Amino acid sequence: MSKSADILSMPTDKIPVLEVSDIQATVLRPRPSPYRGQYVVLRIDDAAQGREMLRRIIPYIAPADDWWLPTLPGWMGIGLTYHGLKALGLPATSLETFPQEFREGMASRASILGDVGDSAPANWEYPFGTPDMHVAIAIYSKDEESLETTLALARQSHHDLPMISVVYRLRFSELPNGCNPFGFRDGLHNPNVEGSGAVVHPGSGRPVKAGEFIMGYPDELGATAISPEPEVLRRNGTFVAFRKFHMRVAAFRHYLREQASSPEDEDLIAAKMVGRWRSGAPLVLAAEQDDPELGADQDRNNAFGFGDDTHGLKCPFSAHIRRVNPRDALRNELVATNLHQFLRRGTNYGPPLPESVMEDDGAQRGGVFLLIGVHQRQQFEFVQSQWITDGNFISHGREEDPILGNGGGDGIFTIPKRPVRRRLHGLPQFVAVQGGEYCFMPGLRALKWLAGLEAGATA
Amino acid sequence: MTVAQHAQVVKSASASIARPGAKAGQTSEFTLISKLKPGAAERVRALLADGFTGERQKNTDRIATVHDLRFVIFDNDTRIIFASTFDGGWEKYIDDFGGIIPDEIDLLFHEFEGYPGINHPSIKDWIVAQQVTAVGFYSAYPSASVRDIWKALKIKGAVDTLLDVASN
Repeated sequence: MSKSADILSMPTDKIPVLEVSDIQATVLRPRPSPYRGQYVVLRIDDAAQGREMLRRIIPYIAPADDWWLPTLPGWMGIGLTYHGLKALGLPATSLETFPQEFREGMASRASILGDVGDSAPANWEYPFGTPDMHVAIAIYSKDEESLETTLALARQSHHDLPMISVVYRLRFSELPNGCNPFGFRDGLHNPNVEGSGAVVHPGSGRPVKAGEFIMGYPDELGATAISPEPEVLRRNGTFVAFRKFHMRVAAFRHYLREQASSPEDEDLIAAKMVGRWRSGAPLVLAAEQDDPELGADQDRNNAFGFGDDTHGLKCPFSAHIRRVNPRDALRNELVATNLHQFLRRGTNYGPPLPESVMEDDGAQRGGVFLLIGVHQRQQFEFVQSQWITDGNFISHGREEDPILGNGGGDGIFTIPKRPVRRRLHGLPQFVAVQGGEYCFMPGLRALKWLAGLEAGATA
Repeated sequence: MTVAQHAQVVKSASASIARPGAKAGQTSEFTLISKLKPGAAERVRALLADGFTGERQKNTDRIATVHDLRFVIFDNDTRIIFASTFDGGWEKYIDDFGGIIPDEIDLLFHEFEGYPGINHPSIKDWIVAQQVTAVGFYSAYPSASVRDIWKALKIKGAVDTLLDVASN
């Protein structure tokens, strides 16, 4: 059996040419930095008006070949939910060829995903988890002025269509130093998509077959997607798991203060939980203290594996980055890590909690993640259920990810150490899911096909 | 001869008889396939609706040699499989059921067609007639008994506590 795992990790020669002018930029292009933007969710109450809205917005949906020279002040990405496709009039014969998790919706997957307690769909914001979420639009710009221009373009697509309603808006923008609300530089690693033409930095791993992230090309098992149907709809499309998190920054700071013996120890515990220091410097390369120069250096801050840290003495087995992206850590296990990768487009929202403030100010702050991949059950759902909300794969029993897990006040976090390991108890939940949904992100031709659907047309 | 005396004779007589069931290390598998009495399927389902929780869990734990057990109803509710993995020998396994929790066993098995009662002299012959030996049997820990595992878990808990105290 280990033989088949070896075959899986062996790259083949032929690299297909990706139709980058048809693939949405959001799939392949990193968001700008600094960034400003808005997520908008629309509900369609009339199929013809929905298709008109699509026709108008398509010219502003950026393709991935406009990579280095954006011709617009910003760009948009668009995704459609199961209910959205239905509202546009996509026939049932096509709808039923979509994957199960997409048809069911993310809320119905809560028990698999560990979305329980505070993260349960019953506590989500409207319209997440309801049939009213139809179209999700991500609008990215580099500054406030360009954002206003881009938002105006988006608005024109539906402002005079009474059966199209905006049911959700969320502004997002980069926090100082590109950090997340917990104070860690983030968005540092993404898989290297074969043939995408993206700049490859050391440590991004061997190229992963494009078919893992875009339909129409061979995936890591050599298969090319044969559904959903028809082919014109799926070609150059993909799926995205949309996740909105609220981050409890004050609770995080409190917990660190409680557990640590000194301010330095606070930083160390926090770094052990994440697997990186606040600057982004990985523990594997900087085990004792932060190294901001290393953290900021794209050519070095990913150039590491866990193969030389087999006891987890530098980076704990349970650290967030070692769980969600084990790199070479599981190389002796019967797990094909190449099947469990997805692209991450993360953004932060809300104001930062000023440094050293220990009390919650009640502000909404956190992150929104677009987790992109063709095989969501093997990708996001696998990582979420096996690697984030469980510990058995690293022989840690039910221990969960210290940052993303559902600690709920009785969580534990194990830090390997000699002669005696250190274990933290009473971990609260630092991150609560406030909404999520699966969206289909079609290629541009497919969007035009959808916009041209006639009432009663058969796929 | 009283029933108890008779049972003793049967027990000692059968002690040297080869018993069905495959072995892996010191564990054995036990697979019993039987017809159900008419209409029994629903009654068995109701009986097991709460699973092995509460008193039933505690009672079954008292045997302390059973790794797991399951009841599976099949063939349009006409037949049932009872399967388990246990430590040690076949005779003791059956004797423990009869000695430790006879009422519980009778309650669970009386819907099996022809079941004579756990302390009936013919119980072992009835079991042998219904038991089917597995053609393949795997154990991840063939040398560990239920008691070994319980003890190891206890030690793990104690070591966890020790390590927490030592590192603070």
